[in-house]
Amino acid sequence: MCAFAVFPLYLVLLSAFNESGSLQVTSFLPREISFANFDVLFNDERIPYLTWMKNSLMISGFVAIVSVVIGAASAFAFSRLRFKGKKFGIQLLLLIQMFPAILAISAVYVIMERVYKFAPSLGIGTQAGLILIYLGGAMGVNIWLLKGFVDSIPAELDEAAKIDGASAMQTYWQIFVPLAAPVLAVVSLLSFIGTFNEFILARLFLIEVESRTVAVGLQQFIGGQYSENWGPFAAGSIIASIPIVIIFLSLQKYIISGLTAGSVKG
Amino acid sequence: MSTYNYKTGNYIGKEEAVERIKALALEPDENNSAFDIVVGQFQESDALLVSDITNDSYFISTPERRIELTNNQLELDENQVAQGATGFIRADAGEISASKAAKKRYFYNSEYFITVENLNVGAVFRQSLEYLPQQDIFRSLISDAIYRDNGNGNYVNPDDKSDFLEPGWRDPAWFTNYVRLVNDDRVRDPLISVFIWTVVFATLTVLTQFAFGLLLALALNKPIRGRRIYRSILILPYAMPSVMSILIWGGMFNTEFGAVNEILGSNIAWFQDPTFARVAVILVNLWLGFPYFYLVSSGSLQAIPSELLEAAAIDGANPRQVFSKVTLPLLLQILSPLLIASFAFNFNNFNLIYLLTGGGPREQLDGEIAGSTDILISYTYQIAFGSNLQDLGLASAISVLIFFLVASISLYGVRKSKVLESFS
Repeated sequence: MCAFAVFPLYLVLLSAFNESGSLQVTSFLPREISFANFDVLFNDERIPYLTWMKNSLMISGFVAIVSVVIGAASAFAFSRLRFKGKKFGIQLLLLIQMFPAILAISAVYVIMERVYKFAPSLGIGTQAGLILIYLGGAMGVNIWLLKGFVDSIPAELDEAAKIDGASAMQTYWQIFVPLAAPVLAVVSLLSFIGTFNEFILARLFLIEVESRTVAVGLQQFIGGQYSENWGPFAAGSIIASIPIVIIFLSLQKYIISGLTAGSVKG
Repeated sequence: MSTYNYKTGNYIGKEEAVERIKALALEPDENNSAFDIVVGQFQESDALLVSDITNDSYFISTPERRIELTNNQLELDENQVAQGATGFIRADAGEISASKAAKKRYFYNSEYFITVENLNVGAVFRQSLEYLPQQDIFRSLISDAIYRDNGNGNYVNPDDKSDFLEPGWRDPAWFTNYVRLVNDDRVRDPLISVFIWTVVFATLTVLTQFAFGLLLALALNKPIRGRRIYRSILILPYAMPSVMSILIWGGMFNTEFGAVNEILGSNIAWFQDPTFARVAVILVNLWLGFPYFYLVSSGSLQAIPSELLEAAAIDGANPRQVFSKVTLPLLLQILSPLLIASFAFNFNNFNLIYLLTGGGPREQLDGEIAGSTDILISYTYQIAFGSNLQDLGLASAISVLIFFLVASISLYGVRKSKVLESFS
């Protein structure tokens, strides 16, 4: 069982440190350890690996933070405040959440083409535009996840705050945010991982080599002009995976509680 | 969008289409005449210095008129091409752009005009179509044929339906795209087979992942040595960024160099044969997903009160009976929302299909869009962006269909998990 789980990963490790650059089982133990693949990755000018990595981390980081800021505020509003159309709003969100961004891909594409005409810095082919799409796509899930948590905070706490004269804003910042901090962290990590993993929108929107994310870059790497170049690919994917795997393993407990609250890894 | 005929050839708005038709409606003269030209200025107006070497005729052409030149006004080079003339100011190469000059039409004779092909060559054309804005029709200046707006995004000759003008424009097609889903064989048949495979794929995936995960959870539920390490190893596939692992599996299934064939000692062309490709897809997805179900089911196993299991054992149930009569039903009850969510997720598991098989194998010869491992979402992507004919309208129609399917599955799941209870 463990072999089934680990074997592909072991194979990647092997080929990353193997000069021949193929994904073959030459032997189960490494005969030699070579850093040639890593050298290609960092020093070959045709492969701006570090730029890709930076792009990925930047886009994912930005999405993670902003989506949680938006999500937390909306979750709080939906859970605690009373306003017209609240029920309709939350149900609409649920419905929209079921419409994955990828399904709307052709519509998004056309919208971004138009956006490009008015604001070239946000339109098609820009990272800012991509971030906008991600934020829109992540909103529904995050709000639902967070709302579930806010609902579980006892209402007495807010009431006490209100009696002491706190405004809704103060209740939010001084009662809710500190209480929810661990959950907010988990949700932002989940959206970080989700964005880091996202492939197809990034593939469609980031046209220039320099602006690509790691996932897109590496895929082109084995499918494109350097086809079947597994060695550097393996090396690249190991480096790209390390931060995610570390985050995941160290925060297992929290992430899993977030997962069971109703989302599947994307 | 799904109610528009949004596709290649009908991509732009109508006004833009009219402009393009006008600009494209050029017809060369009978000799396909082309001349050496020099771009410049003559008497404060844009002009071309034209050398018609075959007829030994030289002239300056402005948008309005044509001035014939005699030999003593000309500077000729060794090829008898005029490089300068009295009163003609040659433009520097840096000042002029071919694309700007190409938009102008220079006078040739009352019917024909010269357009700039590149900075050294001009060709003779005449306008072949005329737009009559009042009636909203195009009239051919050559055959007098009339092209009318057919209400479907094209100007069409009423006498000959196959004779229409390019490009078209996007226009409401109302339910044409939806009708095509039902009536058009070339759309419906692949759609149905893709749909069946999507359901089979999602079901099998959830079942295998769940079964595998549950098995592991049961096996590791007892306190054995090194449990934490096993646990960490087992969730590694889940922690890996899935894009990377899918691509790696793609490499491992390679026929010649792949590790899978090497280990099995076989020579299977995994991604060329529909059945094997499907097996591979499910296998890879199992690898990607079982840790998730391992995690959630080991969590829920601990949530089952041990009194229940003990009570069953006291009542004389053997371990198998305890599992099938007590544990499993309880687990299913706890996990059914997650199972449904996972089904909905895999229903749209685009990354897996796209990165692993690309939807293939597909019959290249027929230009078939649907491959045998294509699920609805990747099929939609192929229609919208995959081939030369990008049909965004049809793709949107299918998207809407998928939305209703997924929404009803998820709504069912939500009902089960009673998330909406607080609103009732």
